[in-house]
Amino acid sequence: MFDHEYLKAVTRRTFFGQAGMGLGAIALASMAAAERPARANDESNRDPLAPRTPPLKARAKHVIYLHMAGSPSQLDLFDDKPELRKHNGKPCPAELLKGKRFAFISGVPNMLGSPFKFAKHGQAGTELSQLWTHLPSVIDDVALIKSMQTDQFNHAPAQLYLHTGTSQFGGASLGAWATYGLGSENRDLPGFIVLTSGGKTPDAGKSVWGSGFLPSVFQGVQCRSQGDPVLFLSNPAGMDRAARRDTLDTLKLLNDWQADAIGDPETITRIAQYELAFRMQIAAPEVMDISREPKHILDLYGAKPGFVPESDAAADPRALYKGTDASFANNCLLARRLVQAGVRFVQLYDWGWDHHGVSPGEDIVNTLPIKVQQVDRALTALIKDLKQQGLFDETLIVWGGEFGRTPMAQNSKSQPFMGRDHHPYAFSMMMAGGGIKGGQTLGKTDDIGYYPTEDAMDVRDLQATILHLLGIDPWKQTFAYQGLQQRLIGVEGKAKIPKQLLA
Amino acid sequence: MLLRQTRLIAVLVFWFAAGQLAVAESPLSKVSFSRDVRPILARHCFACHGPDETKRKAKLRLDVREDAFAKHDDVFAFVPRSLENSNVYERVTSEDPQERMPPGGADKRLKPEEIATLKAWIESGADWQGHWAFEKPVKAVLPNGDDPAWSVSAIDRFVLDRLRREKLNHAPQADKRTLARRVSLDLTGLPPTPESLARFIDDKSPKAYEKYVDGLLASPAFGERWARVWLDLARYADTKGYEKDLKRNIWRYRDWLISALNSDLPYDQFTRDQLAGDLVPNHTPDQLLATAFHRNTLTNDEGGTDDEEFRIAAVKDRVDTTGQVWMGLTIGCAKCHSHKYDPISQREYYQFYGFFNQTADNDRYDDSPSEVLPDATQRKRLETLASDLKKREGELIAETPERLAAFAKWQNKFTGETTWKAAKPLKTEAASKSAMKQLDDGSTLVSGTGPASEQYRLTFAPVSAKALRLETIPDASLPKKGTGRSINDGNFVLSGIKLEGKTRDGKTVAIKFASAEADFAQDNYPVAHVLANPDIKKKGWAISPQLTELHQAVFRLEKPLTAADVTELTLTLDHQFEYSYPGFSIGRFRISFSEVENAPVGKPVPSAIRTILAIAPEKRTPEQRAQLYKQFAMEASETASIRAEISRIKGEISAMETSVRTPIARELPADKKRVTRIHNRGNFLDLGDTVEVAAPVAFGAFPAGMAKNRLGVAAWLVSAENPLTARVAVNRYWAQFFGRGLVETQEDFGSQGQPPSHPELLDWLAVDFRESGWSLKRLCKTIVMSETYRQSSRATAEQIKRDTHNVLLGRGPRFRLDAETLRDQALAVSGLLSAKMYGPSVMPFQPDGIWKSTYNADTWTTSAGEDRHRRGIYTFIKRTSPYPQMLTLDAPSRELCTVRRITTNTPLQALVTLNDPVFVEAAQALARRVVKDGGKSPEDRIALALRLALAREADPREVKALKALYERRLETLHKDNDAATKLATQPIGPLPQGWDASELASFTNVCNVILNLDEFLTRN
Repeated sequence: MFDHEYLKAVTRRTFFGQAGMGLGAIALASMAAAERPARANDESNRDPLAPRTPPLKARAKHVIYLHMAGSPSQLDLFDDKPELRKHNGKPCPAELLKGKRFAFISGVPNMLGSPFKFAKHGQAGTELSQLWTHLPSVIDDVALIKSMQTDQFNHAPAQLYLHTGTSQFGGASLGAWATYGLGSENRDLPGFIVLTSGGKTPDAGKSVWGSGFLPSVFQGVQCRSQGDPVLFLSNPAGMDRAARRDTLDTLKLLNDWQADAIGDPETITRIAQYELAFRMQIAAPEVMDISREPKHILDLYGAKPGFVPESDAAADPRALYKGTDASFANNCLLARRLVQAGVRFVQLYDWGWDHHGVSPGEDIVNTLPIKVQQVDRALTALIKDLKQQGLFDETLIVWGGEFGRTPMAQNSKSQPFMGRDHHPYAFSMMMAGGGIKGGQTLGKTDDIGYYPTEDAMDVRDLQATILHLLGIDPWKQTFAYQGLQQRLIGVEGKAKIPKQLLA
Repeated sequence: MLLRQTRLIAVLVFWFAAGQLAVAESPLSKVSFSRDVRPILARHCFACHGPDETKRKAKLRLDVREDAFAKHDDVFAFVPRSLENSNVYERVTSEDPQERMPPGGADKRLKPEEIATLKAWIESGADWQGHWAFEKPVKAVLPNGDDPAWSVSAIDRFVLDRLRREKLNHAPQADKRTLARRVSLDLTGLPPTPESLARFIDDKSPKAYEKYVDGLLASPAFGERWARVWLDLARYADTKGYEKDLKRNIWRYRDWLISALNSDLPYDQFTRDQLAGDLVPNHTPDQLLATAFHRNTLTNDEGGTDDEEFRIAAVKDRVDTTGQVWMGLTIGCAKCHSHKYDPISQREYYQFYGFFNQTADNDRYDDSPSEVLPDATQRKRLETLASDLKKREGELIAETPERLAAFAKWQNKFTGETTWKAAKPLKTEAASKSAMKQLDDGSTLVSGTGPASEQYRLTFAPVSAKALRLETIPDASLPKKGTGRSINDGNFVLSGIKLEGKTRDGKTVAIKFASAEADFAQDNYPVAHVLANPDIKKKGWAISPQLTELHQAVFRLEKPLTAADVTELTLTLDHQFEYSYPGFSIGRFRISFSEVENAPVGKPVPSAIRTILAIAPEKRTPEQRAQLYKQFAMEASETASIRAEISRIKGEISAMETSVRTPIARELPADKKRVTRIHNRGNFLDLGDTVEVAAPVAFGAFPAGMAKNRLGVAAWLVSAENPLTARVAVNRYWAQFFGRGLVETQEDFGSQGQPPSHPELLDWLAVDFRESGWSLKRLCKTIVMSETYRQSSRATAEQIKRDTHNVLLGRGPRFRLDAETLRDQALAVSGLLSAKMYGPSVMPFQPDGIWKSTYNADTWTTSAGEDRHRRGIYTFIKRTSPYPQMLTLDAPSRELCTVRRITTNTPLQALVTLNDPVFVEAAQALARRVVKDGGKSPEDRIALALRLALAREADPREVKALKALYERRLETLHKDNDAATKLATQPIGPLPQGWDASELASFTNVCNVILNLDEFLTRN
């Protein structure tokens, strides 16, 4: 509750600049020092998104989090299990099913070996499935984690758990925590930007980039590839930029009189926010315009400016997916541009990875390769491009789904498709860039990929690691709400930062 | 450790920000246990020495008096007036890190100020009080005022007394116009109309303000404005939440709320009806409707989820929400472990949970239990329709000579009904393992919830046949008494059919079909799909909207089948249709074969009719004859127009009933009550002890004689023994008028919350509220009639410095309007606002591409006509994708109970009020309004726009500045007709004949400024 008080001070009642520092102001400022990193300078006092110095040594300044909503099959992409191929089609041992909950599997399912071949790549000999054709060229920059675990087995709760630290609605998302702690470097743009592809928003909706109990100023701003890149960014039809400037000048004049007459510091803040909005009107379309990139960069990603996939308008886009769909590639390129412009946290969601094998759009044999094709080149390009721009070492990249997929086939005898159910006990993710030691594989799973056998890494550990790399202490950055000191890693604080991952 | 440090500083903040002056004056002279000492103990000690028995160290509790002064291991925690014998003091001041409390590094040490406070408290006698909010409120003696104007209202006496103690003065009264706008926005959420404002200004009587206030309290807009606040608490939305987030019809609850607030339903009854209206003996439909309050919880329709898991999540949400809304407590903390700071043990949590664990709802797709709960107008219409229906049904079976002749002819038609022979399956099997039951008429009935995909395999003895007939039969056991198993409507979609024969040599051969016909097919779902399906997930044969009628499909064989050629026949009926809800398989059907060439596809004959037809006419009973006649009447061409009318009436009844069918609370019958057990660590799969229902003991006794159910809980909440309910309610209202509560942490009255700025005032208001009959309108009036409320909000630099947040109330409140009010105000001043109340939620303009929920094909379709311009409270709220304008303006997504909206000030908000078409349209409408009504000169028109928007006279320099803008814009737009036309007409529509686009566009631009003025966005 005192934190609310503080936030009101910075977001609403920002009087420091105008009325001098009262005792209350001093107390609030020192409280801020305990709760959040110090502000970079006095000028930014009234701006809750002003950049702050991280309390710990930051290994990364930005995050690009690529979330594959639906959850890709680790067993067909990263974690090869010859044992599964050997038992392909045979019933799953009963002891593995006992007491377990699956979303759709019932009865005794059969084991499912991957139809894809695997090979070792790079100096580190990281094993990857044949579906990856570009990724091997940068695999020595990537840390592959094969021992991820979560405790949620349905999409919406698992996505919420991963991104907000709680499987219920109402938590604050990773990007919100990051901008709450660190602000953002470019004040002409939102500090936390969300880009989506795959034709649908993630299953848990916009709550996965919400601010939850944190003030709404920290919520992710969804930038769109069609229409205004930021909602309501465009002036009304018939009002050009000069007219908007003239309008705002007149508005400022009247608001200044109001500030003089009433003396509410909030009026001063409001004037500043209108100016910021005006700057954002230029900055956002500029940064969102990938056609400004040279051809060789567009080609590197496979990006196509203005691309609108046919699948976008479909009720079920998955059946219309094509490998040449440039939506994800465009978003990857945008992510680099945003990070380059100083945006703190860029969150991508790519929907359509839920390969249950019960319809053509959920087939491991035919549709999974299409999805991989959509991301393989773009992801690889993102790593290469960040390196050549000198941004790789200060940008943390995370790639993965909300859980894994079962070693067993989902029981559906009548279907000609291949698929796997949700599997929370073991899955794979990739991390690269700022603070991450590339060229390694962390963790192992058992012979059929059911449980981790080495270096199990919980979603909580991932959350702690991301904040840690940003220079935020995941145990110390808290927010008082509903009688608890809330934090991303949960009030119990059960999390660890796997040292092997760090560079 | 940082956690502690934060709290420590937070304590300082409280001193400096809230009680700064008193403390600064003489920090040690008047230490209050509740205000000064208890917070220190709560923050530093309670985590290990508090209510949570599992975390308690050294068996020492410092949150209860008995323990704090008792002897433990030969020492006392506190001894009044003896620092040396007070072990706590010794431990917190110790230099030995092994000894010092709290344990841990130096950063956990108490601050010198805190130690000084403890010292002063012990030395002054260690007076102990319980946590202030858990003691019953009492009316304190009113302080004597030295200012006659500030002596009328109790509020003013308390506020002035506090100001005087801080050596501060109050502000002068705000001018009449400012006050008119302020109180109008506060009470009704709308600005004053020019007429009501003029009446108030012209009324020079001393009662002018009171009359004006009474008018506002009586306005129907009052209920709409205050429902907004309650709907945040009720987490009201128009969808069910989670992954699919499908629509839910619960708007009748919103309407109930508005009308309950307008009729000033006393808060005790308001509480009772929402928590337990269904348990009130002889409850009214409205009382049942009120229970939808707790049916606003989320329902998870995601495939493969465990209904029990999400039922429990909903029940916990009800418990937590009840605690938050009525008691300002975070009792949800106790679901995993006993509360660390407030006296609620984990056992007590589940005892309280037990009250809410007995409703029949169970995370079901159809949100059952639900009831058709029409409002008065709708009820009347339904009654009319029912009587029309009865009349028409009478006409349908009336017997006239013509009809009787036709009846005789009709019966002859059935003599040939021997073409088809029903075949009884030898064996039936459903892929889902659903039970399949053979009925006497040869049909098969499938039971159990329809799965996402389904296959039936039926085995028959060999027959000779040229065609196979599938009759689909409605059944009362199926959803909606329909024919299929789809859980929402009782439809089916047959995706494929396969007939196989086993030959004498044991081989299986396919028996192919040549063609298919049906007596009826749903649009775009022809029976031909069954034989050649273009998309097995999306196509097939279906029968909507005739879901409760018999139908038949005939499949003709490519080659005649001879019984002697096979030993067994196997028929497979395949259902693979996918939709936002599952179950599209046939629920009851009968298979027949025919050897006749081109056997007819007839209008199917119900089996009961078939039975009657088999009886000779003279042997039929009168009932049988009547039944037969009715069947005839249902088919006869003579009755076609009556039947059309009946079907229209039934359609209207069903549409209306669907729209007002609302989820409600219903207690389980005594023999079906659930056993409540503790969930260890909050995990519903890890069950602990069984518990009996009870209310937490620290908050007053359960009223004697009350049943141990939700009705008892409601009575317990509003009993005079409950220390919190009245305080929390008046504080919530206070916060709406002053921008912050007397207890700023409206959501937490526990020991972690902030103490009240004016404790005696809070208690006085609480007791007065309860004693005067819980009238919310009276409470509102008490507040707005006070001089405290009526002060000018102008702040001097000195005031800002000394009382930044206006905690001491030495000036009038000033804060930004909330999301709904901003919208309503812009529509109101521009003349666009629709006064229409109630009804299903509406969809005003929203940018394309906002709704993209997974597995949900719902779309945002902008409402037509005045529904685009309704008050914000009627805007459709989709939980996973709330209305973006409101989300940006700090409205919550309504997934959970929100007690307090935190107001922010961001550039994205500026973009909304500058560019959102809703606000652009308002600017255009305001421009048209002032051009029409504002005289001829730009100055007069601008002055009118300012007057309409701000409810005050325009300042000449404002008019001058805006006119300069107008002229500059006019000059440019004169030369650019295209831009002028766009700015004047998009989105509002074409200009009336003869209006000048550049002029209107320039005024639109001016109005865009006015609708973004800080003064407009703020309530002064």
